Amino acid sequence: MKTLSALIVVALAAPLTAQWLHYPTPGLPRTADGKPNLSAPAPRTADGKPDLSGVWAMQRNLPCQPMGCVPPEFGNIAVSLKDGLPLQPWARDLAKNRRESLRMDDPISHCIPPGIVELQTIAFKKIVQTPGLLLILHETDASYRQIFTDGRPPLRDPQPTFNGYSTGKWEGDTLVVETTGFRDGIWLDVSGNPITDAAKVTERFRRVDYGRLEIDLTVGDPKAYTKPWTVKLIQRLQADTDLMDNICLENEKDMKHMVGK
Amino acid sequence: MKIFLTMIVVALTAPLTAQWLHYPTPGMPRTAGGKPNLSAPAPRTADGKPDLSGIWEMERNRPCPADGCNDIQAPQEFGNIAWTLKDGLPYQPWARELAKTRRETLRLDDPESHCLPPGIVELTTLPTYKKFVQTPGLSLILHERESSYRQIFTDGRPLPQDPQPAFNGYSIGKWEGDTLVVETTGFRDGLWLDTGGNPLTDAAKITERFRRVNYGRLEVDLTVDDPKAYTRPWTVKMIQTLAADTDLIDYICLENEKDMKHMVGK
Repeated sequence: MKTLSALIVVALAAPLTAQWLHYPTPGLPRTADGKPNLSAPAPRTADGKPDLSGVWAMQRNLPCQPMGCVPPEFGNIAVSLKDGLPLQPWARDLAKNRRESLRMDDPISHCIPPGIVELQTIAFKKIVQTPGLLLILHETDASYRQIFTDGRPPLRDPQPTFNGYSTGKWEGDTLVVETTGFRDGIWLDVSGNPITDAAKVTERFRRVDYGRLEIDLTVGDPKAYTKPWTVKLIQRLQADTDLMDNICLENEKDMKHMVGK
Repeated sequence: MKIFLTMIVVALTAPLTAQWLHYPTPGMPRTAGGKPNLSAPAPRTADGKPDLSGIWEMERNRPCPADGCNDIQAPQEFGNIAWTLKDGLPYQPWARELAKTRRETLRLDDPESHCLPPGIVELTTLPTYKKFVQTPGLSLILHERESSYRQIFTDGRPLPQDPQPAFNGYSIGKWEGDTLVVETTGFRDGLWLDTGGNPLTDAAKITERFRRVNYGRLEVDLTVDDPKAYTRPWTVKMIQTLAADTDLIDYICLENEKDMKHMVGK
């Protein structure tokens, strides 16, 4: 765990100390003294649906460790599941091997896209909601994810990608996003929990008030897990700031030291 | 030059054979036969401004090889951003030397070949698709390259005075009539504008004038004002054509990357 934490610090140290952007978030409700009123009602778009737009970061629901503040789900996506993940035997062995080899092959440590689940648990993300298309912008390699909300169906034979292919539709005030078409070999967290090309990820986005976005994320992946499982990821609005790029390969000096044990 | 083109082919081969996405572009005007009508007027947003949204690719201005056109072709500007400038670029002497050295070492240190972000100019000329998403107060350009975005703030904010240097810089835009004028500063030093090694420094200000002349054509007048590298500002026009009924497919440079170890210069 110490090695794991140390690696996380190496991976995240640069952006945390960078110069932040300060600019008042347009439309943000404020209290009488000008502070962001994050308990105001969630905003809505012209068509009456909740507007998920904003800059978000995972809630820090554990005390910060001396080495830094990282959401616990980044370390273990199943941290909130009492019985852990329903791993298939091979998947359990794979995750164990990944940890025992000190995450030598962790994609995120090699500047490979971390995939949509791990992206939810790291750094700032910005949701831009437009009619027919919702975008999630990530600081990690300044990368976007598209979620089509124009009624198109999921692809039958998608090109396998790190982010998959996402379609969303509203159920009341909840945006339900389904994603398939994943490339094989993606890690869900730095514990090495896997996801395969058979996976379907369902995310239920609900903005409960101005400052809080709850995502119920369900992984249905019969190759790696014996049954679907769901975790709740809570995002908090980041007021009066914006994204700053974190380009993993910029001045990259770490990879050659990742030799396992 | 042969090596140069070969390297481009190596860099771009993978996505070319990928499965394309086919889905009717929402809102696209069509002819009676159902084909996209790219000469229809440019669409407009609710506030009456031109809507630049759509999937765009650089005009194919390089002659096809004898054995036929490829699916995708690097435009002239990808190799030399200044190919339309009769007198070439107004280099400062050191910048001329640097570009020459970069070419003579066979682009050994080209950021693009090392999977680093190519910066906003080369991203415009890459022969991969880009998607413009225009929303009130914020426009985005999404690139297939690393599935990366660029933000252009159009909510009236000024350029930051001391921005964190970034590969894409910091961009603001405002409308002048039907032209979106985008100014960008805050570049990280060491960017290449093209595979010819023409440089851009942290002193640069780039101005892009986006004009959608009809549904299918977007003209970008791009001005580079970089007194460290060039003796005066210079402008090139880059034509983008709409790609209908398709969408972006990620191109992750490091995925199964096998080339870098062979890049040893000469």
